[in-house]
Amino acid sequence: MQLWLIPILPLLGFLLNGIFGKRLAKPVINAIAVGSVVLSFLWVVKTLNALGAFSGGLEQTYKEHYYTWIQSGALNISVDFAIDRLTAVMLMVVTGVGALIHIYATGYMAHEGGYYRFFAYLNLFMFFMLILVLGANFLILFVGWEGVGLCSYLLIGFYFLEKFATDAGNKAFIVNRIGDFGFVLAIFLIGFHFNTLDFTTVMTKVKSMPVEATAGIFTAISLLLLVGATGKSAQIPLYVWLPDAMAGPTPVSALIHAATMVTAGVYMIARTSQIYLHSPWALDIVAIVGLTTAFLAATIGLAQNDIKKVFAYSTVSQLGYMFVGLGVGAFSAGIFHLMTHAFFKALLFLGAGSVIHACSGEQDMRHMGGLRKYTPITMVTLLCGSLAIAGFPYLSGAASKDLILEAAYEHAPWMYWMGVFTAGMTAFYVFRAFFMTFFGEYKGKPAAGHDHGHDDHGHGEPHESPAIMWIPLAILAILSLGGGFINIPHFLEPLFPLQEGEPARWLEYVATAAGLGGIAVAYLFYVVSPGLPESIANTFKGVHNLIYNKYFVDEFYDSTVVEPIVGGSRQLLWRVGDVRLIDGLANGIGSTARGLGGILRRAQSGYIRSYAAWVIAGTVLAIAYIGFMGASR
Amino acid sequence: MTLLDVVLFLPLVGFLLLLILPKESSRMAAMVLSSAIFIVSLGLLMPYWFQYPSGHTFSTDIQWISYPPIRYHVALDGLSLWLVLLSTLLTPIAALVSWNYIDKRVKEFYAFLLLLEFGVIGVFVSMDLFLFYVFWEVSLVPMYFLIGIWGHERRIYAAVKFFLFTMAGSVLMLGAIIFLYNRTGTFDYGQIQGMIQTGSLVFDPRTELILFLAFFLAFAIKVPVFPLHTWLPDAHVEAPTAGSLMLASVMLKMGTYGLLRFCVTLFPDAAHRCAPWIAGLAIIGIIYGALVALVQPNMKKLVAYSSVSHLGFVVLGIFSFTQQGLDGAVYQMLNHGISTGALFILVGYLYERRHSLEISAYGGVATPAPNLSIIFLITTLASIGLPTLNNFVGEYLVLQGTASANFGWAVFAALGVIFSACYMLWLYQRTFFGKASESLSHHMPDLSTREWAAILPLVILMVWMGSFAQSFLPSISVQNTAILEQTKKLRTERVAIPARPVVEVSRANR
Amino acid sequence: MPIANFLPTNADYARFLPELILTLAGVLIMFMEALRPEGKRTGAGLIAILALVLALPTALMASPGPAFQGMLVIDGMATFFRTLVVVVGLLVVFSSTDYLRRENQDSGEYYALVLFSIVGQCVMVSANELVMIFIGLEISSIASYILAGYLRDDARNNESALKYFLLGSFATAFLLYGVAWMYGATGSTNLTQIRASLISGTPPPEVLIGVAAALIFVGLAFKISAAPFQGWAPDVYQGAPAPVSAFLTVGPKAAAFAVLIRIFLGSLEPIASSWAPAIWVCALATMLVGNFAAIMQSNIKRLLAYSSIAHAGYVLVAVAANSGTGSAAAMFYLAAYAFTNIGAFAVVTYFSRKGERYVSIDDFAGLAQRQPGMAAMLTIFLLSLIGVPLTGGFFGKFYIFKAALDAKLIWLTVIGLLNSAVAAYYYLRILVVMYFREPGESVETLPPAGALLQIAVYGSAAGTLLLGIFPSLVLDFANRAAIR
Repeated sequence: MQLWLIPILPLLGFLLNGIFGKRLAKPVINAIAVGSVVLSFLWVVKTLNALGAFSGGLEQTYKEHYYTWIQSGALNISVDFAIDRLTAVMLMVVTGVGALIHIYATGYMAHEGGYYRFFAYLNLFMFFMLILVLGANFLILFVGWEGVGLCSYLLIGFYFLEKFATDAGNKAFIVNRIGDFGFVLAIFLIGFHFNTLDFTTVMTKVKSMPVEATAGIFTAISLLLLVGATGKSAQIPLYVWLPDAMAGPTPVSALIHAATMVTAGVYMIARTSQIYLHSPWALDIVAIVGLTTAFLAATIGLAQNDIKKVFAYSTVSQLGYMFVGLGVGAFSAGIFHLMTHAFFKALLFLGAGSVIHACSGEQDMRHMGGLRKYTPITMVTLLCGSLAIAGFPYLSGAASKDLILEAAYEHAPWMYWMGVFTAGMTAFYVFRAFFMTFFGEYKGKPAAGHDHGHDDHGHGEPHESPAIMWIPLAILAILSLGGGFINIPHFLEPLFPLQEGEPARWLEYVATAAGLGGIAVAYLFYVVSPGLPESIANTFKGVHNLIYNKYFVDEFYDSTVVEPIVGGSRQLLWRVGDVRLIDGLANGIGSTARGLGGILRRAQSGYIRSYAAWVIAGTVLAIAYIGFMGASR
Repeated sequence: MTLLDVVLFLPLVGFLLLLILPKESSRMAAMVLSSAIFIVSLGLLMPYWFQYPSGHTFSTDIQWISYPPIRYHVALDGLSLWLVLLSTLLTPIAALVSWNYIDKRVKEFYAFLLLLEFGVIGVFVSMDLFLFYVFWEVSLVPMYFLIGIWGHERRIYAAVKFFLFTMAGSVLMLGAIIFLYNRTGTFDYGQIQGMIQTGSLVFDPRTELILFLAFFLAFAIKVPVFPLHTWLPDAHVEAPTAGSLMLASVMLKMGTYGLLRFCVTLFPDAAHRCAPWIAGLAIIGIIYGALVALVQPNMKKLVAYSSVSHLGFVVLGIFSFTQQGLDGAVYQMLNHGISTGALFILVGYLYERRHSLEISAYGGVATPAPNLSIIFLITTLASIGLPTLNNFVGEYLVLQGTASANFGWAVFAALGVIFSACYMLWLYQRTFFGKASESLSHHMPDLSTREWAAILPLVILMVWMGSFAQSFLPSISVQNTAILEQTKKLRTERVAIPARPVVEVSRANR
Repeated sequence: MPIANFLPTNADYARFLPELILTLAGVLIMFMEALRPEGKRTGAGLIAILALVLALPTALMASPGPAFQGMLVIDGMATFFRTLVVVVGLLVVFSSTDYLRRENQDSGEYYALVLFSIVGQCVMVSANELVMIFIGLEISSIASYILAGYLRDDARNNESALKYFLLGSFATAFLLYGVAWMYGATGSTNLTQIRASLISGTPPPEVLIGVAAALIFVGLAFKISAAPFQGWAPDVYQGAPAPVSAFLTVGPKAAAFAVLIRIFLGSLEPIASSWAPAIWVCALATMLVGNFAAIMQSNIKRLLAYSSIAHAGYVLVAVAANSGTGSAAAMFYLAAYAFTNIGAFAVVTYFSRKGERYVSIDDFAGLAQRQPGMAAMLTIFLLSLIGVPLTGGFFGKFYIFKAALDAKLIWLTVIGLLNSAVAAYYYLRILVVMYFREPGESVETLPPAGALLQIAVYGSAAGTLLLGIFPSLVLDFANRAAIR
């Protein structure tokens, strides 16, 4: 089946653009960049079709072995790719959405410096992301896992002249490293206990083992994997990097930080579902982490003014939903939401990008407004996306989110209610953004605010984006509207059997109601009586301040983790430990030696009498020692 | 007269040749000679092509000194093969990076470089403890001069510190070697190992411990193992690029090599007894080195401390006494040689342009010198263990092995992986990102052809070793299996062997 | 008993040939000096060289056996040491000529004195008789006293000579006193008989023997500048003319060690338990004093003086081992040290210039850049003194510590090894200034070295390296020669 072609095509794109891009003309770069991704999308379609994924086939995992990567003792790690239905979904999403975003980016980045660099990185990202989903064992998955992290680092820091951008890049990489710390430890445990890292082997072995109540190897592995997942998928406590990651170009936010990479954690947990199923306790933790994240992120989203920040927190929150889905055992629902979310969140980001593009780089919604007469198409597409995420009936978002909520209700009602409340908030802040952007009057200043090198075409009037940008928007809009009718849960049944029994209908209604309610409130606040939010914010100043400043989590981490480590290392370890203690000791030995030498030198008076005295003393000693004591010895 | 002898003595010949050749030609001569030596040394791969002999190859064993019987016994195995190749590869590269860097007393410089190559190759191939010690000391002298003559401001302090630290460690090793000889009547590593294997040579625990520590101290200083590492930052900061390169990439490996080759196999019981303590030191080294690297204002110091951290992994792997641990350790020796070597080269490039090692003197280099920054990025990623690049394979194996030996160790050691990302990325950001100042962009040309030629082989190796580890690992793995066997078998047999015959052995050899 | 028994036979003369040759040459030189017209230079140096060259094979080939009714005995050790001191003499003469010319003191007496001193040392090492030993010692010493003060107008020379003379005779007195006690105790001054009486059924009272041994030890310990009798050494070696210092640090020392080994490891071996510990302590003290005092020295002659004390300490370790390998190690070490130290002093001689103006370490700054050859040679000597492999010094230390470990002197070995690490520090300082510093005026004004001096330097270097790469040449000899 030549699965290797799927990731290799983008890699080629990366190499071509990366090495020769400087000398290539833009059309050529576009051809290479977009072409490689589209080709690999087509190859995915062809492969899946050949494997019968679209015709009820692909019951079993299809696997390809290429070469042995590492062989040490009993441990054999080879470069294998495998496809099952889960992978199939991921592949479609990644390459499909990826292709669309690539196309969009050719328009969005048209006026940017380092054009070829951007697309090289983007292709590299596709390569690693595809490795991640195709990898047939933990280490190959980890290769992709780290790789996408690298690309995210590079693309967040794409505007490397700006300190905040590179800071954000570092933050993303390092926070992810903390997650990976957990992930690798999990891998070690698996490698140690199963002597292999191959998914199918491990999972079959696990199947045959008893379920654990709480503690034990499976719980340990599951929790460590979860640490990794929270890093990559921006869950509490490691979500802090994702909002900052918005420093990257908007297509990046759409592709990496909304549609694909950040869902890797979800994919990974689904992939290792067998292990989690053997540790219910760990599974609960997953659900709780997800729910808390969903809720808190949503609350933060309420008060943000940067349009991308709003969607960033919404992403965190939505990922939280997916974790809830996984946590309550509805893996397929989680993956389903992963897909739909990929559609509408990519759409929202690209739409936001189009808006920013229209306002020549402005990101603060307070400087937008009234764009509906300038950018109608963008508005329509964004509306579709917003409705989808708000859980409007029959749209993609609703379909997947309701499944999760129902499963949550089965598991524990309070989770359901919390989820519903969060859904309401989600609807509110999304439409808040929508209304602030498109309704009211345009408040932007010509050639505004902090712009990422957009100024090279800074014309005052907001303007609709070119076709190359809105066509992808349109396609994504359609997907967000209709995506819900792709019955992923059914498709995934061979992997994740569904619970029997129809859930109660009212659960759906309540959830929908919450969504619509949110929209209504937003309309009331930002269209009917725009003064209202201010006054509310003022009445609940404390709360507003808290969520506006994101619960001061960054500050908290800085003061409790970063500064102690840096300060401690500098003052304690280096200045005291190395310089004072260890070197001090070494030099101390030296100086004592010299001191001793000084004493001995002074003993060397140069007076014959003193030497003679020494001789006498020595003689007496010798006689005593050899003669008398020797005799007695 | 095997190929190995040729590879070993060619550098010495080159050294003498340089002494008689005229000054002007010494640069070119050294370049040609060292490259030739590398090409010749590739021939050593022959026996390891598609097969992985566990025994010695290219072995020569002739008498050097009649009494005490000191033999010129050199041989190659899966362990030393790659270290020798590493040395022969890096010497021409060192010569290349010194092309403009070294402007005074050029002839002596290249002469010492070749003498150093002679010494280190000798260390890696000696199968006679005495011969090993001789090379061990001989390699000390040229490096002393490399640092002392061509170094920076505080070079003298650094050179003397380097010499004395190593000397202090090695004299005790000499004592231990002599003691071994007095007990066995031979310096031949193989024979002594054999006696220990067969149980005809047994030490009481205390003696074994002392001997072990005598060897360990010498190697630990060289590695360096925390807290004996403070000579390294000074030596690196003051040394010229080529010096740092050879020091980090090759000479530090002499320590880890010694640990694996001698400490573990000659005194297995003591090694096993000390393993927890040494692992502890290694882990402290990993974290400590990383944390201190984090706050260094000086690039070379930063990289030096990162070496302390990286080599902690090697030591940890060795004393995990697992197949993966040992394989990873050896692989990591090579990786560190490649990636840290590359880092020192790149820092050297920056220094040649800006004449400062202070990180604060840089910033925004990416704009004027994109290629340099890309290569630096790849090297950075390699050194922080990004998969598909070399260090990942080593670190993974080491940690996997450690985890199966003692999961707790692995947990702490893995912290080092986080911190490595912190200090390297921070360094990269402060050096290459941001807006370049006027003066900087004027003095920051991109990579020249010569610089490309020096760095590219290493970059290629990073990818190769990272993505196709199997083209290197098997021969190493075979060797480590043997070493593990030697250490294990002993501990089981120990009970059975009575102490009686031993006395005869030692008397007989008096 | 017929008088004929007391007349020396031809064999006796044959065995005594080296001493005869050297004495005759010495006397000849004296005569020529006396008859020499003012301002005309005689070939004294040449004669000395010839005599030594002639003596060398006769010493080496001398047939083993006793001479003069067993007053002397030509055994392996005697041969070894006689050869050694002759070679030393040769090298010293080579390194002296330029010096004497430079100081306008190029008169024959110097060579004659060197020859006489060597004769004395030859007698010492081949004597099998305490009285003979004493006579040899005196011949050697008196000559050296004069040599130490050879530049009669030089204050330092005179001080050096005076100290050497006073303390020397002081110590020699102890030796003589010890001989008397020994005679009183055992009724003999013949080493063989002393040993015999010790192992006989009725051994003499241990205290008497012990005191005798102690007094003899003091006398010899002074000559080898062992602590606490080392006081004179730095002042003398610093004050004396550089080539003389070179001679004093190796010639008399080697001889004295030979005697020490012969007496203690030979005759007094039966009571080793009573003297061995003393030597243990003495060795320890000597190593420590020598090395640690050297750390602070800034005058290279004084530094080498202390280093020579330290090295005496190492050799004492070998003696303390009290074994065949021990004495062999000591012999090898003395040979290696002879080449190394004469070489080092030869470079210093060359460098110090008229009146020895440049003897501070700092004066050597940048030597490597102006005189790479000389610097390289000095490097070899210093590395050998540190004990870096492929030099004689390394194998010397190696054999000594090997012997010590054989004899279970674990602690002495460990301390000795650490000492050699300490020693590295002060030898490195010289390398540092030579190679790492920029040339100073002292180096800039340096004339090229004379031919003879170069022979001395390169010859010593060759010897050092030869012993470092093929030690068997000498070691096998030493092993065969070693006592027990």
